[in-house]
Amino acid sequence: MSAASAMLKSEARLLARNPGVVVWTAILPVVAAIVLAAIPAVRQPMDGLGGLSFFAVYQPVLVLFAVTLLAVQAMPDVLTRYREMGVLKRLRTTPVSPAVLLFAHLALILAVSLGCMLVMVIVPALIGATWPQNIAGFLLGYLLAAWALLGIGMVIASLFRNAKVAAGFGTLLFFVLQFFAGLWLQRPLMPDWLRHISDFTPSGAAAQALTDSTGGQWPSLLHLAVLAAWGVAMSAVAIRLFNWE
Amino acid sequence: MIDVRGLRKTYGDRTVVDGVSLTVGEGEIVGILGPNGAGKTTTVECIGGLRRRDGGTISVAGMDPADEGTAFREALGIQLQESRLPDKQTVAEALEMYSSFYARPRDWHELAERLGLAEQRKTYFAKLSGGQKQRLSVALALIGNPRVAILDELTTGLDPAARREVWELLEDLRGTGVTLLLVSHFMEEAARLCDRVVVIDRGRVIAADTPEGLAAGVVADQRMSFVPSAPIDPATLQGLADVRTVMTSGDRIVVTGTDNVAGSVLVALHQQGVAATRLRVDQPNLDDAFIALTREQEATRGPAAAQSDTNHRRGVHV
Repeated sequence: MSAASAMLKSEARLLARNPGVVVWTAILPVVAAIVLAAIPAVRQPMDGLGGLSFFAVYQPVLVLFAVTLLAVQAMPDVLTRYREMGVLKRLRTTPVSPAVLLFAHLALILAVSLGCMLVMVIVPALIGATWPQNIAGFLLGYLLAAWALLGIGMVIASLFRNAKVAAGFGTLLFFVLQFFAGLWLQRPLMPDWLRHISDFTPSGAAAQALTDSTGGQWPSLLHLAVLAAWGVAMSAVAIRLFNWE
Repeated sequence: MIDVRGLRKTYGDRTVVDGVSLTVGEGEIVGILGPNGAGKTTTVECIGGLRRRDGGTISVAGMDPADEGTAFREALGIQLQESRLPDKQTVAEALEMYSSFYARPRDWHELAERLGLAEQRKTYFAKLSGGQKQRLSVALALIGNPRVAILDELTTGLDPAARREVWELLEDLRGTGVTLLLVSHFMEEAARLCDRVVVIDRGRVIAADTPEGLAAGVVADQRMSFVPSAPIDPATLQGLADVRTVMTSGDRIVVTGTDNVAGSVLVALHQQGVAATRLRVDQPNLDDAFIALTREQEATRGPAAAQSDTNHRRGVHV
C-alpha cells in the first residue's frame, strides 16, 4: 500500500470516528436548502428574478456557504489539533511529505462537501424544486470552487499552531469571502470596481460561476481560470509553508 | 555513522548546547547521560533534524539532518519522549500506516509481539497505558528498519519486566548492525547496553568513555557498611584520614571515604577489639561516577554558579 492511500485510509477512519466538526459545520446550509425547497412559494418562478424562483437564486449561495464553511473551519481543525498535540512532530520523523497529509485531508473534505452539494441539489429537486439548468457547468464550477476554497483551508491548516486561533481566523476569513460572494451586497448591486475585485476572489468567482450555471449558461472562462489559479497557488503555498510544529 | 562537531543551539540569550562534539561508529551503541536541563534532548533533536542548529556540523550516515531529505528519514528512526498519536487511532492502524511510509519496513506484527503489544492491536491510542504508549513509540521508531536509531528516555515509566524486554530487543538489534544513540537517566541501562557513554552537562560534553572506564576513572567515594560486634563510638572512625562520613542506620554503621576506607576502618576496629560482622563494600558504579563528575563541575565553577545551575535544573528562572 502506498503512503498516500494508507494516509487517506487512516484519516478517513479517524474522520468517521470523530465526525463532530464536519457534521456541525455542514448541517446548517444543508438543512436550510431542504427547508427552503419545501416551501411552495419559494419554488415559484418570479418575474423580478428573470423567471427563476427564489430557491433557484438562493441555491448557489447556500451551496457556496457550505463549502466555504467546510474549507475554512472544518478542514484546518484536524491538522491544527494534530499540530498542537504533537502528532505532526511524530510524522515529521518519517519520510512522508507534508503534501501527502494535506492532500489526504483535501480529498476527504472535498468528498464531504461534494456529498453535501449533492444532497442540496437532489433532495430539493425530488420535492419539487428546479435543477440547476446547466448541470455540467454547475458541477465544473463547483469542483473548481471547492479546490480554490479548500486550498485556502490548506494554507490555514499549514500555518496555525493553535486550533482555537485557527478557528478564529477561519471565521474572519469566512466573512471576508462571503462578502465578496455577495451575501450582504449582492453582486449585481455592487459598484463596478467592487464587482471587478470580487471577480478575482475565489468566492466571488465561485458565486458567479454557480449562479450562471443555475440560470442555464456556462460559467465564464475568467471565473473558471480564477478558481483554478487560486487552487494551484494555495496548494503550492500550503506545501511550501507547512509547519510540523 | 554519526559525526557531530561543535554543535551549538541558543534560545535567545540562553546557550542550551555549547560546542558538543561526539561520534558514533557504525553498529555502536552510545549513551548520552546528563542531568535535567543539560541539553541532551536538544542535542539529539538537532541530530535528528527536528531542530535547527545555530552552529557546528552534523553528519548522519553522510547526510546533513538540516536538509531533512527522504533518504535521511529512511536511514534514521527517532523515538521521542513526548509522542502523541490521534486519540482514536488503534495500535495496528498506526503501525500499518507508518510501515507504508518506508521503502523496506519491518514486519509490524513481529515488532508488536516483541514489544508486548500483541494484545493491544485493536486498542485506541488514548486507552493505552503510559508504558504501552512508550513501547509503541519505540516500535514506530524501528518500523522502517533504520540504519541509525535515536532513543530518548527509552524505558522511563516502564516496569522492570517491560524494561527487560526492551533491552533484549535492543541487544538483538545490535546484532543486526543498527547504530543506536540512547539518551538515558537510568545508569544501569547505560552500563548494560552502551559501548560508550557521553556525559553532557550545561550544554557541554564533560566526559566520554566506556561505562567501566568512566566508573573506574573517577575518584568516587567508596562505601562500606557493617554491624559492629560491640558498640563503638562513630567519632573514633570519623577521625581517620581515609574516612569522609560516618552514619548509623539501625544497627548498621555506614562509612564512606577513599579507596582505602575499608582497610582503615577494619584496622581501627581491630585496635578497639571489635569485629565487623555482615560486612558490605560497594564498588563505585556509574551512578557514583555521574554524581562525582557533575559535582566536580559545580566545584570548579564556584558556589554561586552552582546555585544558579540548581535553580535552572529545577525549572526556577529568575
